Amino acid sequence: MKTIETTRPAALFPLFLSWLGLVLLTLLSLWLAQRSGSAAWLQLPVAAIVWLKGWIVARYFIESHLAHPFIAVVVRVFILCVPVALILAAWLGDRFARLTTLSLQ
Amino acid sequence: MTAAAIPAFDIGGKQETRARIPGNHGIWVGITCEFVEFLVLFTVYFVARAHFPGMFEEGAGRLSTIAGTVITLLMVTSSFFIACSVARIRAGRRRESLGWLIAALIVALGYPLAKYIEIRWNLAHGINGESGIFFTVYYYLTFTHLVHGFWGILGILWVLARHLAGGYTAEDHGGLEALASYWHATDIIWLIIFPLFYVLA
Repeated sequence: MKTIETTRPAALFPLFLSWLGLVLLTLLSLWLAQRSGSAAWLQLPVAAIVWLKGWIVARYFIESHLAHPFIAVVVRVFILCVPVALILAAWLGDRFARLTTLSLQ
Repeated sequence: MTAAAIPAFDIGGKQETRARIPGNHGIWVGITCEFVEFLVLFTVYFVARAHFPGMFEEGAGRLSTIAGTVITLLMVTSSFFIACSVARIRAGRRRESLGWLIAALIVALGYPLAKYIEIRWNLAHGINGESGIFFTVYYYLTFTHLVHGFWGILGILWVLARHLAGGYTAEDHGGLEALASYWHATDIIWLIIFPLFYVLA
């Protein structure tokens, strides 16, 4: 049976790079927000940044790729939900509001 | 299926199956519940935002971006330090692992402090839970996250006490990994909250 080559890392440098990536992505999202104001397209890069930051924490801090498949799926689904919702809200916000209204009018 | 048929990894001379649980089963039940709880709250956020887009656009501009950024940096840095603590205990370097964990605790304590300063700033600028739907959702979501942050800090204190008592070794450090998993999950949740309230003005 084929096995996947993998180890639980003990080195600090990949963790440092992950931390640096998270900091830079945070600053990038702030810079984008400052430049674009309230432009609708901002939702797209912000959604991508949210997903990427979640993926970095899951991959390098939690090591979800080495974990039980259930844990890997739970983490993967969770970090995907809000980015997808951000994109849907940008394009289908009005329709979503109508779907979730309690008024009969 | 026999044990020989289970896909396994050779880590430091020990066989480890692909179905590895970081920490323990209990913490992952808790983390899954935490994720479900916040998914419900995020749904509330998107429903409210779909109904009141103007208030959400205007509301984010009134919050302190500096406070949100500081909390983000504190969360990712404490998460990084805890990951380093786990990496060091795996390498058998107990003292270094302890040092990273103490550093993680100090940085993590900055979170409630930053939140306290942010709330004082909010109140000084007339922002409270009754300032509009955006701020109601903001307070509810961020306070819920703060509660989870407190649980994490209490967890760090407990694990630190056990670590100081020699409770963890290179071979047996499940408690430290369980704490790390919880703190990283809480970190992911903050990384999602941050753009919703502080970036998308």
